[in-house]
This record gives sequence, structure tokens and C-alpha cells, in this order.
Amino acid sequence: MNCEKCHKNHATIHLTAIENGMKKEAHLCDECARQTGVHLKFNFSISDLLGGLMEPPKTPKVNQVRCPECGITYSEFKTKARLGCANDYEVFRSELLRLLEKIHGSTQHAGKTPHTVDAQVRKENELIRLKRDLESVVKSEDFEKAAEIRDRIKTIELELNR
Amino acid sequence: MKVEELLSQSGEWLKGTGPESDVVISSRVRLARNLHRFPFLTVATPQVRAEVEKFVRPRLEEGKLPRKLVYWSLGELSAVERALLVERHLISKEHEKAEGDRGVAVGADEAISIMVNEEDHLRLQVIRSGLQLDEAYDEIDRMDTALEGSLNFAFSPQFGYLTACPTNVGTGLRISVMMHLPAAALSKQMEKVLQSLQRLNYTVRGFYGEGTQPLGDFYQVSNQITMGKSEHDIISELKKVIPEILKFERSWRHKLLEDEPRKLEDRVWRAYGILKHARRITSEEATDLLSALRLGLTLNVITGIPHKVLNELFIFTQPAHLQKIERKILDPEERDAVRAEFIRRRLEGL
Repeated sequence: MNCEKCHKNHATIHLTAIENGMKKEAHLCDECARQTGVHLKFNFSISDLLGGLMEPPKTPKVNQVRCPECGITYSEFKTKARLGCANDYEVFRSELLRLLEKIHGSTQHAGKTPHTVDAQVRKENELIRLKRDLESVVKSEDFEKAAEIRDRIKTIELELNR
Repeated sequence: MKVEELLSQSGEWLKGTGPESDVVISSRVRLARNLHRFPFLTVATPQVRAEVEKFVRPRLEEGKLPRKLVYWSLGELSAVERALLVERHLISKEHEKAEGDRGVAVGADEAISIMVNEEDHLRLQVIRSGLQLDEAYDEIDRMDTALEGSLNFAFSPQFGYLTACPTNVGTGLRISVMMHLPAAALSKQMEKVLQSLQRLNYTVRGFYGEGTQPLGDFYQVSNQITMGKSEHDIISELKKVIPEILKFERSWRHKLLEDEPRKLEDRVWRAYGILKHARRITSEEATDLLSALRLGLTLNVITGIPHKVLNELFIFTQPAHLQKIERKILDPEERDAVRAEFIRRRLEGL
């Protein structure tokens, strides 16, 4: 494919932009791209990656939602890729759930729980972890281990319902 | 302990004694933690930063922790000393460059360090020599649990440990295995390795972490996913991946030795010759040559140089180390001369 601008050189830069819901494409050679002011990036930061992963929220209002504790808005989070306080996880909850699913493939913690957190929560977290473990040992057909985990799940469920 | 005293020792992890040390330099684990009820550093005012440091510091210095730690406030150190801590892998480049109240608590053998007011209020890290993921995690877990006794960490049952960046949330655990992959690189196989690792959600970075180039064929492989898996799962998955890379690198090393022994020998001995006799050497050249020498040692193309000496040379020939050793600021050209002399002395009489 030849460059759309000079029609001479081979087009090596392919740009896609979405403007007002319309897809626009441009195919340029290095030289014309530089002249047009398209800057190539060789350094990539985490905020670029996150920015790419974050969908435009369905209603633009979400961008303006402000955390009452730290004062940052969702749109500020998107530019910095860093949250302002622990409370943001609740304030931007639904957007973050979507983002976490994309980054980690999960939205539920399954690891360590600090011992300062009350026993009920610790047990609930252990339950989540065990159910996950159960799935994987069943998949690998380790039925002895599966039975063990099932027993443990029953005990915890009993304790939680007590 | 003063920062200067680091020059008379080297980190435990540099000894080159750990398992798989022909390929694996070190295993590093890191936990990100934030304090409950304090804003994250993204929005923290200078007063909040000061409060966090004032609150955390005495708790890191107290005797009840599993390891005794020495605390350095970065603002009280010179620019060269801060750079030296980066070269030692005790703090990150971002922590060195940041402004405002911040610090680091370090264990005497440099195996453990805790950054205060980096991207999160606390960043704990443990580094071990060779492939020792379980050992490294056990140690950091003990320290984390001990700190819970005096610090209340931001935690949610759903999201786990809450961090400033959503890429760290959940366990807050990042495991990085630093590997020396000269044969894979020399045989132009790295692209393959990198691509497969990326497909499995691992990132690969250079010697000094985020945003650094792979220098001297050192690559750091780290997990990307921190949520939805337990710490144990993250470790056991990595423990399945790393041996595959080791096997790959070792096969290519032996292939080099079998197919083109002369070429390999020449490369190794040439590197040794230059290191032993050069009068001026840049950091990049030194790293490249030391890398070739390291490859030669593991294949017995050359013998008699302890791994520890070689590993230390990688660190001690960095700019801040040289300036601290010479006790003065050196311009790049002066550094090249000092570096060459330092290497000559260390290789003499071996």
C-alpha cells in the first residue's frame, strides 16, 4: 500500500481513530507521518496501557463523578492511571470491575487476608479461595484432594451459617 | 548503619550461591500495601506524606519485627547515595527521583527492604540469590504479618489489598525472577521467549526494572496478574514457567559450545582480555563483556573467577558506586577510567 499523502513511498504507519463514533483510517509513510506531526512512541507507560483498556464510560457523566474523600474524578484517574484513596474502589466500583476483569481476568481477591480483618470476612475469603481450588483439582482429576477441599468448604459454610 | 557502609559489603543475593545460579541471578518478591484512612500518594499533600513517614518509621525501626531494619530518609541522603541505593536494587528509580518525604528501611544483609511513600505507602521487597521463590515469599509474608500488628492496611474482602494502581490490587504481589540469558539472546531466540511469556501474562523487563533496557542479556520475568489467584498459586505457576526458560537457555548454551566452540571461546577470552587490560571502559561495554565472561564461566570455557566476584562487578562498576568509592563526583570520562581500574584490580591475582 502506498502512502495516502505523497503516493510515492510505501505506507508504514497505519492510524485508526474513532471520532464521534466514526472510524477513520490513515496510511502514511514515515516521512509524511513525521510532517503531519504524528509522533511515534517507543516508550510505553502503564497509563497508556490502562488508557487503552478503559472503555469510554456509557454516560459521560461517569467521568465527572468525584470521590468525596480524596476529591479525584474518574477522568482524572484515567489520565493518571492511579487512584487517590481506598474509597475510590467503591466510588468507581462498576468501572473498576470492568477494568479489573480485563487486567486480571477476575474481580475477586483470593489471597491473604490480614488478621486484623474480622473472622467472618476471613472465612468468606477462604471459601472463595477453596471453591476456586476445587474447580482446578476437579479439572486435574485429583479426586482425593477434591474430597478434602469439599469437606473444608462444608465446615466453613456451617460455621458461617451458625 | 550509613549508606557508605554498603560499599564494604554486597547483598546476600549477589553471592551467586542459590539454586540454578548458572541462569538465575535472583528471585525478588514485592508486596504493595497502603495504610487505612490515609489518602494514596497520588493525591497526598506534603503534610500527608510527612505524617505517613512519621507514623510508619518508628514501627519499621522497632525491635519486634522478624528482621532488624535500618531506616534512611531519602531527603537526608546525597544524590549519589540515592543513586547507589538504586544500583543496589534497594529502591526504585521512581523513588530516587520523587520529591517530598520518603524513605527506605533496609535489613543488614540487603535481602529485605521496605520503601515508604513510593507509589504506595509501603513497598516491601525480599531478594534472594538464585531461584528461591518459596523462601523469598515466606520471608516477606512473615514481615508483612508482623507489620499488621502495628499498621492497619487498606483491605477490602472483594478487592484485597487496595493499591494506587489497579494493576497491583488484590495480593499486591509481584514476583520477579532475574535471569541471565546470553545464549538465547546470541542465537536470536529472545523474541520467541518474550512472546510466549507475554501470552501467559508475564512481563519481561531489564536489569533495573520498569522502563529499563535489557543490559548484558539480563531479563526480569514478573507476574502481571495480582488478583483472583492466591499468593501460593501465583508462585506455583511461575515455578512451572521458569524451568522451561532455564532448559531453553541451557540447550542454546550447549549448542553454542558444540557448534561453534572457537567462536564462543574467542568471545569469552576476548572479553576477559579487555576487562583485564582496558584503561577506559563505559558501563555498557563493561556489562556486555562481564556478561560474556559469565557465560564462559558457566560453560567452563574459562575458570577460576568466583561467581560472587563477577556478580559484584556488575553492581560496583555502576556510576554511583564508583563515585562513592572514589569519594567524589566524577564526570563520565573520569568514571570510565576509574571503572577500568576497578575491574583490573578485582581480576588481578585470580
